[in-house]
Amino acid sequence: MRKLTVIPERCSGCRLCELACAINAFGVNNPKKAKLRVFSLYPHPVIKKPIVCNQCRIPKCSENCPTGAIYIEDGIVKIDEKTCSSCQMCVTSCPFGAIFVHQEIAVPFKCELCGGYPKCVEVCPKKAILYTPEHILGQSMRLAGVLKYAHMKEVEYFEHGIVKKLRYADIEKGKTSGDNNDN
Amino acid sequence: MTIKGGYCQKILEMDLSNNKKRVIEVSDRFAVKYVGGRGWGARIIWENLEQIKDPLSPSNLVVIAPGPLSGLYLPASGKTSFSSISPATGLYADSNMGGMFAVEIKQAGYDAIIIRGRAEKFSYLFIDDDCVEVRNAHKYKGLGCTETERHLKEDLGDETLRIATIGSAGENLVRFSCINSEWSRNAGRTGMGAIFGSKNLKAIVIRGTKDLPVFDLTRLVELGEHAYKTLKSHRLFEFWQRQGLMTVVDYANAAGILPTRNFKDTCFDDADKINGEVMETFYKIGDTACYACPMTCGNVNLVKEGKYAGTVTEGPEYETACMFGSNVGINDFAAVLRANYLCDEYGVDTISTGNLIAAVIEAYEKGILTLDELGGMALHWGDSDSIMELIRKIGKREGIGNVIAEGSYGLIKKWPAIKQLISQVKGLEQSSYDVRSAITMALSYGTSDIGGHHARAWTIAKELEVGSDWTLDEKAEIVIYQQTVRPLFDMLGVCRLPWVELGFSESAYAEFYSAATGIETGLEELLKRSEAVYNITRAINIKLGATVKDDFPSWRCFNEPIKTGPLAGKKLEMEEYTKILQLYYNKRGWDENGVPMLKTLDRLELTDIKM
Repeated sequence: MRKLTVIPERCSGCRLCELACAINAFGVNNPKKAKLRVFSLYPHPVIKKPIVCNQCRIPKCSENCPTGAIYIEDGIVKIDEKTCSSCQMCVTSCPFGAIFVHQEIAVPFKCELCGGYPKCVEVCPKKAILYTPEHILGQSMRLAGVLKYAHMKEVEYFEHGIVKKLRYADIEKGKTSGDNNDN
Repeated sequence: MTIKGGYCQKILEMDLSNNKKRVIEVSDRFAVKYVGGRGWGARIIWENLEQIKDPLSPSNLVVIAPGPLSGLYLPASGKTSFSSISPATGLYADSNMGGMFAVEIKQAGYDAIIIRGRAEKFSYLFIDDDCVEVRNAHKYKGLGCTETERHLKEDLGDETLRIATIGSAGENLVRFSCINSEWSRNAGRTGMGAIFGSKNLKAIVIRGTKDLPVFDLTRLVELGEHAYKTLKSHRLFEFWQRQGLMTVVDYANAAGILPTRNFKDTCFDDADKINGEVMETFYKIGDTACYACPMTCGNVNLVKEGKYAGTVTEGPEYETACMFGSNVGINDFAAVLRANYLCDEYGVDTISTGNLIAAVIEAYEKGILTLDELGGMALHWGDSDSIMELIRKIGKREGIGNVIAEGSYGLIKKWPAIKQLISQVKGLEQSSYDVRSAITMALSYGTSDIGGHHARAWTIAKELEVGSDWTLDEKAEIVIYQQTVRPLFDMLGVCRLPWVELGFSESAYAEFYSAATGIETGLEELLKRSEAVYNITRAINIKLGATVKDDFPSWRCFNEPIKTGPLAGKKLEMEEYTKILQLYYNKRGWDENGVPMLKTLDRLELTDIKM
């Protein structure tokens, strides 16, 4: 299973993803019909972040759907247009705001990952949206955590009369400051 | 010839004097003949020319027009043109900005918005698809541009609204004030902000949800995909994303065309302190881009330490880095960023503001202005504190700022001796290229329809590189060709930078146009229409009293040779310039007074334009 992940620091806010998505999904040149949305804030903080569906395993949108129109198929959260009453409960219950509406479209719409080839990922000129295997998700946080724990240190030493540097992780220090429990 | 897409074929006309809204249906013939954007703007201004008295009176109008390609799936399709009569020059004016505003206008279902009259109360215009309202803007009076945008979005509860606004400079009718959108996209030149101000109009807030009409979307997407691929595979693409237009600082300095200390010098010793490298290493915190554009020219910068710490601004790009860097002698990039921020916030054009401040500093240095006249504040090259204070004074029209706010012509009227120090054409302050070494660039500035701006033709790099044995004939021709291609982008509602900077073919735009509108059109045909529009803007200027003498670059170009750098000793010769100007008129089909001849207007199917 792969999912969309977003690196907001890279996003330029050009909205090409929105446009390509809408063309792909509805065959119209109308970014307001995209199944994702770039949100830009300025100047405090300066951030641009594409809002994408996380394909939750326990989707709040589905839990709150009064007609049971939202189901999971092959890991992808889908809306059944026939069952949907377009009450838009899903739109407001999604914790990320990743379900959208448009006055010309009868029911809410959301990302279904373009059959495994997400258009937004393909067109993004900044590689701000990635299509990542699930087990990679959170990897950057893990890495940051490891580096923080490791307290990297440097030691200088001589080899054949030349000064050299060796980097090592000060594990002991991490141990004392951490919440290790040797029971 | 039937339009099948690309155009909404509707213009929204709003008369603020009587709060009357009108939706004008646009005929196929009009739409195609003047293409859109600046083309429509120029034509509409021409048709209303007789009623326009003073540019800052309610009789003036402003045409806000994206183009037929705006908002479509192709690189940088987010340009909006503003056309009017300029309060700075008294002549034809247009200025365009990128961002998202164009897309929203089109999605609301309009190809253009015409604003007339003057609102009784301080107002903003709210457009939500078909709903159009003039609303009270009293609350936002005096607020800066980015502040206004933030407050409006908060108050209206929608972060995705698109807003074009003026700052206090526009409200105070500063003659080079600008219109700001998306926090730092500006229709900067020719004083569009003052025109909004004169109409008691603080902002236009717009939201559109409609599909954009496209004749053949499959073909357009194919062409678009190809365009994106071509740009992304350019060898400079990645570098461009990182530094954008800031790369020009090093080029201009090395070539010896970087205006320094009010256009006196052409090289700046500290250029490496205000260039793209410094920006990228120490200040840049993010990218921004216009609609659907991969180039991300916009650099968001943050000053992290020192007296300007906390300053966030999108920019500068080359023009601002030069005008508030080398041209005023500032070698501290943080100060450049601060100046950029202040200009955006007050809503003044960075080019005109930097240019005029430099002229005032030199005037003080030469004793033309006394300390008294400056309000007791001494001015020196590179003194960032006093320069920031001057920007504030201009934005608020205080003291000396009140005189500078009147622009080049205002300053010259008050202190005639300053005339020789100001680099301007037709009353519009010249942008950041020294032209003493390149006659084609001098001609570009001289014959630009809005005054001293490089948007119409930018020939300097080519001339310095390969132009040493061009004949005067060839030189005039290259300027005319550029003045025909470059405005075409403004007519189509797209940005020219993919073509200028990454070598994307101009003929692709004819294909985009054909796919979007369903009218098969070649580049030749589009260029002919662009030429026609250039003749319309010329006709407007002639009617408004422009003459041959308005087609000359500034005094310094002819009288003070470059002192240092690789092009030392160069200056323009009056005789040669006069000659090339006449050649230019001749090739354009204008008479010796620069007036379009009947046969030219005939050839361009502009027979209804009577000179």
